[in-house]
Amino acid sequence: MSATYAWADHRLFRWDGEPVLYGVDDVSLFHLDREAAEVLARWRPAEPLVLDQTPPQDRPVLEAFRRARLLVPARARRPRPRPPAGTPLSTLVLEVAQDCNLACRYCYADGGTYHGAPRLLPPAVARRAARYLVDRSGSHGEVTLVLFGGEPLLNLPAVRAAVDEAETAARAAGKRVRFSLTTNGTLVTEEVCEFLHRHRVSVSVSLDGPPEVHDANRPTRGGSGSYRAARRGLALLLGSPRAPVAARVTLPPAQWDRIPEVFDHLIGLGVHEVGIAPASPVTRDLLPTAEQEEALFAGFSGLANRFLAAVGKGEVLPFSNLLDLLARIHLGASRSAPCGAGLGYLAVDTEGRFFLCHRLVGEEPFRVGDLDSGPRPEAIRGCLEALAAPREEPCSRCWARALCRGGCHYENHLRETVLGLPFGGTCGFVRRWIELGIRVYARLCASGHEELLGRIGARARC
Amino acid sequence: MSDKKAVLKALNEKARAIETLAEGEEESARALQEGPPGMPAGCTTVFDTGWETNPRPTYPVGNCQASARDFHGCAGDCWWPAQVPDGLTNHPDVDKQCPNVARDWRKLQYD
Repeated sequence: MSATYAWADHRLFRWDGEPVLYGVDDVSLFHLDREAAEVLARWRPAEPLVLDQTPPQDRPVLEAFRRARLLVPARARRPRPRPPAGTPLSTLVLEVAQDCNLACRYCYADGGTYHGAPRLLPPAVARRAARYLVDRSGSHGEVTLVLFGGEPLLNLPAVRAAVDEAETAARAAGKRVRFSLTTNGTLVTEEVCEFLHRHRVSVSVSLDGPPEVHDANRPTRGGSGSYRAARRGLALLLGSPRAPVAARVTLPPAQWDRIPEVFDHLIGLGVHEVGIAPASPVTRDLLPTAEQEEALFAGFSGLANRFLAAVGKGEVLPFSNLLDLLARIHLGASRSAPCGAGLGYLAVDTEGRFFLCHRLVGEEPFRVGDLDSGPRPEAIRGCLEALAAPREEPCSRCWARALCRGGCHYENHLRETVLGLPFGGTCGFVRRWIELGIRVYARLCASGHEELLGRIGARARC
Repeated sequence: MSDKKAVLKALNEKARAIETLAEGEEESARALQEGPPGMPAGCTTVFDTGWETNPRPTYPVGNCQASARDFHGCAGDCWWPAQVPDGLTNHPDVDKQCPNVARDWRKLQYD
């Protein structure tokens, strides 16, 4: 038997001269010793290779590559995984209020309304949706209900109704329900806080950093800044939290060079974690220049270096973006889709209609059913395939495909369909960011922090 | 796996899972009776009394393990009614009378 083998798609990284090999489709990471690196360099150009006919001195190393699935039977190229359909629900996002008291300049939801007149989710619909989540969660022992908007605290009756119904249904079904709420923080009162704490709701507060940065992005409808009100709300939330309070930052390109001070300011306010998102280009003036994109990467990479330095001192820098990336690298889960949208994750709007995800609410092509008749699996599959089709070929040539799988559906829809931009505008940044994550991961392994990586990896399991 | 050189070190969980998978794939086939714990529990693939024999030093000596287990299930705690001595109440000494069913069955003398 002389089976022929070919190299599986892989990428070689070096960190301080140490070679780390990344299996592109498996999301596997291996450190190579000197001999392995030499053998790889010698045999990489040779394809296909017949293992039995290789020189005996190289064969043990080549065999090790074969066992690591880095040398695979020739012509055994694996097809792109297809997302399943009809998966049980694990997360439901409720558009509690398609209305907002702020008028953020970068809002993708048209002032929180997702287009059309401002409207609130009726409490009865909130109850139906919450119950639907629990009833359709199959064998999941735990489900997540996300209270979203617009500004969800504009509609406290629906928030209370959803939480109450989800808890009642979950108790009856022997399941656990987690709640999370994203708010601009300006309407948080002691009464709201008491409710959120009692039900252990994880809260994300949209905060963009120091007052001048925040207020430039997040004015009230009247045009004044919202920093003071948001900070007042945050202080209440941090008073006696029973669940983490995270700051969710959105920055337009002009502010990307201020990432370090934004991060430090928010940590200084006492939040437990900070996640930073570049604003979606809802208008063309939010498209970055090359220099701005460089500033974004410099900001993230600076935080990654601070993360490494902090680990050396036994601390964890709570930078959500990096923690999430490290968690995914740790598990090495190869994705069949960029996110869970349509695959156990759906959004419900104020009329009780299902959309593929919270960001695509109000976009007719992504409406996939309603509470009366349930989500339509064929509509979900159709949406996912239509979104994946244009990127299938370019992604098949990209080494980051298994960790990225094409990026945010909404962002792609916005860029390619609404703005008519060519495919791939964010790919360069995504690849640099994932490569940075792999380097940080390898560095942490080399310095004996496997236990920490295990704890970080637990984030990606839930 | 000590004969293999550890030239690659798995760093993340996926890499470790692949290594474990490779170890499992490379184990050669083993005969069922090849030392403990090779003895299968429950049903066997081949019924050939005297080959996969009851490993316990109790009666019925010489029967295949599956039949031995059945025998105990029926005779001891009686969870399955069958034509075996009722060792719980009426024939408590059946194991002494009849250690080897194939040889000693005539001694059974039960109704």
